Amino acid sequence: MATPPTLSGRVLFLSFLLILSSTVASESAAVAEEEEFTEELLLRPLPDRKALAHFHFRSLASPSAAAGRHHHIFPKAISQLVQKFHISELELSFTQGRWNYEQWGGSDPMSTSNAKPPGVELWAVFDLPLSEIDATWKNLTHTLSGLFCASINFLESSTSFSAPQWGFKVNEGNLRYGALPREAVCTENLTPWLKLLPCRDKAGIASLLYRPSIYKGYYHSQKLKLRSSQALGIVLDQTLTVVLQPNTASGKQRHSTDGQLQPNWSIRHLFNNKLSGKCLVSKSSRIFLEIDKGIADKVSTSGTDDSWNNEFFVLSSSPDRVIEEVNDLKVQSSILYEYDVNIYSEEKSFDVGITWKLSLLWSCTPSPYHTSRFLMGSGNERGSIALSFLSTNLQKQISGSSDDCSIKAVIFQVVPWYVKVYYHSLEIFIDGNRKTISEVVDKIHVTPSEDKLLPGTLEMLLRFPCGMQSATLTLDFDKGFLHIDEYPPDANQGFDIPSALVSFPEFSSARSYPEIDSSFGSPLLEDFQEDGIVKSYTEVLLVPLTTPDFSMPYNVITFTCTVLALYFGSLLNALRRRIGEEERELKKAGKD
Amino acid sequence: MASSSRRPSRPALSLYLPKLLVLVLLAFSSAAVASASPAAAMHNNNWAVLVCTSRFWFNYRHMANTLSLYRTVKRLGIPDERIILMLADDMACNPRNSYPAQVFNNENHQLNLYGDNVEVDYRGYEVTVENFLRVLTGRHDSAVPRSKRLLSDEGSHILLYMTGHGGDEFLKFQDSEELQSHDLADAVKQMKEKHRWFAIIDSHLFSPVYLSDLKTDQYDLFLRQIGVSVVDRFTFYTLAFFEKLNMYSNASLSSLFNSYNPSMLLSTAYYRMDLYERPLTEVPVTNFFGSVMKTIHTDSAYTGFLAARGTTEISWMDRNSAGKTGGQEF
Repeated sequence: MATPPTLSGRVLFLSFLLILSSTVASESAAVAEEEEFTEELLLRPLPDRKALAHFHFRSLASPSAAAGRHHHIFPKAISQLVQKFHISELELSFTQGRWNYEQWGGSDPMSTSNAKPPGVELWAVFDLPLSEIDATWKNLTHTLSGLFCASINFLESSTSFSAPQWGFKVNEGNLRYGALPREAVCTENLTPWLKLLPCRDKAGIASLLYRPSIYKGYYHSQKLKLRSSQALGIVLDQTLTVVLQPNTASGKQRHSTDGQLQPNWSIRHLFNNKLSGKCLVSKSSRIFLEIDKGIADKVSTSGTDDSWNNEFFVLSSSPDRVIEEVNDLKVQSSILYEYDVNIYSEEKSFDVGITWKLSLLWSCTPSPYHTSRFLMGSGNERGSIALSFLSTNLQKQISGSSDDCSIKAVIFQVVPWYVKVYYHSLEIFIDGNRKTISEVVDKIHVTPSEDKLLPGTLEMLLRFPCGMQSATLTLDFDKGFLHIDEYPPDANQGFDIPSALVSFPEFSSARSYPEIDSSFGSPLLEDFQEDGIVKSYTEVLLVPLTTPDFSMPYNVITFTCTVLALYFGSLLNALRRRIGEEERELKKAGKD
Repeated sequence: MASSSRRPSRPALSLYLPKLLVLVLLAFSSAAVASASPAAAMHNNNWAVLVCTSRFWFNYRHMANTLSLYRTVKRLGIPDERIILMLADDMACNPRNSYPAQVFNNENHQLNLYGDNVEVDYRGYEVTVENFLRVLTGRHDSAVPRSKRLLSDEGSHILLYMTGHGGDEFLKFQDSEELQSHDLADAVKQMKEKHRWFAIIDSHLFSPVYLSDLKTDQYDLFLRQIGVSVVDRFTFYTLAFFEKLNMYSNASLSSLFNSYNPSMLLSTAYYRMDLYERPLTEVPVTNFFGSVMKTIHTDSAYTGFLAARGTTEISWMDRNSAGKTGGQEF
């Protein structure tokens, strides 16, 4: 087989080889069509002098490829996972830090689908009879924990996951949701995630993932999203969103009268590396640099020819394409500069950066309400959870205000069983005035917690009047007691209540790019155009519970034993010891 | 046989005096093993169980200890799937770490122990006495994936390295539980009866902080930017020894033990080998701290897959396939 054709020297053999190689080539081409991989990176300056980088990798196995056992570029581990557990949808995210909804935007696709609660969040929709789902979920958590080096298996116990009906995502009872707010996220989670990519981090856009700079960031969220169906095959989206502080020492610091200049940055500054070519098996490999609406408006009014080289900023290389977003009112908003990585290689490495000429102040589009959650009360016995909404007046900007309109908000919250929430104690204040429940709550679904068995789940549909400036919801709770074995080793640190999810179903985060169609083949922009509702996660709450003095039993035992020993020792001494006799014995010994 | 297997670790741990670092080599004579299961009288694979039992940032050095050993055994040829790494806390991405995603064991920051390719099998709250004993004895829930199991067999050399706070006959896990020496002895005995090992080298590193007069002895005060001591002297010098080696080195266990200089360690390392028949000068360190396999030359095609338990090679495969009760094929 391996004999080189030059040695054989036979024309027949050569032609045979030729035919063989051509068939092999055509076969591999067929497989390649069935499986696709694309890699993309989006960079965006943020108003608070930071930079956002969003990596998006999509691996796709067509239905025929998904059913088979062998894969060309699609990760086998994932296709086995999908087949074994009959998953129709799954999302797993590892996040450290908190997305800053006020500064970094609250109603764009980035914040609604890539801002995740701290720690691990996992949800999955199964294509199984309802009775089998809980057992499958348990096996799934174990498998994922082995696959991603994380303690996701803690989600197996019925106290840690819930089955939301409509508050999280509308489903038919086949969705399970669990979150581990305190799970650490580090390189050991990224490594297996990268191993699912055909080029790992050896080539292509993933080679930019320089660990120290990613984990130094203010926020990073690593996500794996799976969709699987008969018609679709398996679609695996892997995204990594990081918010970094550009290295300001390298950029010029200038203080002008109208504020501080944004830091200049480039790919090399952010990731300590330039991009040397694409991952060879990728179908497309693109880098986007996005300019927010706030800047784009100023640029378009300034009336320069090249939108990438204007009086405010200049990009270090000219983009291959400029894609403009058009919002609902048919007005151009944000701008995307596209760079194709295809033409770059080891010898001709790629770097793009932004250099600021004038200082700019702009803000990202917020969500309709800023939501925050906090604890009230003191002591170790009881407390209350408060959820507050502050209007950002987005509604007025969009459609003007009318008196009888209303805005819907959906709240989804899971509370561990040891925080015993009294759902009847729900109180709602709008602009400081107490309202009855029926005035505001349209629909409510509560699954009360059961001790050591079930967490409490609250799903609530609220309707706020448009003119409302602030609203507060409060719920009282009692703190439960755990068994001594159930306390974690660092119980004194307190216990976490996972983030609540607030979504605004009437607001869409979708973007529209009229210039591009489906043939453009960019999964990142396809996701941006998808109709997603505006969502935001609240803070994780830290509840201090009564913790016993774990060393108390030992103290009691040692103390009691000491007292007993002293008592019995001295008593026996007094009763049994004969001092006179001892002295006589000593004297006798002395004489001898 | 049963009683003899119970004994080894008991005296081994009781030997330990708080001030000392104890390195225990406990193994059955190969003859005894051969009588138990003739098919596996040969060492044919290596496993490592590396445990850091300490939580909290100021125990940074314990994690660095474990990662030093992890790096060494990985470099000397034990693949990730045969290393069970248990880390009780997250130090690399701890907010207090001024070098995110990196762990160092010296003040020059030359060697990033965390690297880009570390696979932690048990971490955080999962590092408990129960889980540790389950790993050793192989008694898991059927859902537990293969990467979290010790799938060793009667041809395995297992390196067991534990570091944490402890004292005479016990080691603390996460500051809340204790592993006692007889628990470990029982587990090792159980492993023996299940033919889960051929020889075990077992190293405990206890930092007796509760003894104030000994406090400074154990610590290496590489304080600089990390703000805590970064490694124990014992591991530091062990790593220094191994960094000079590669997979093909012939250094023996005795040369490792001789490299422990009490004046450098500021404590005395002991080892015992009364249960191991081979002279230490003949046993290469890679027998335990690495994985260097012998290649057997065969004249004809390998028929081992057809013949039942023809060679030790097959018995290893059998056991592996028998071990995947959960069917987690990742």
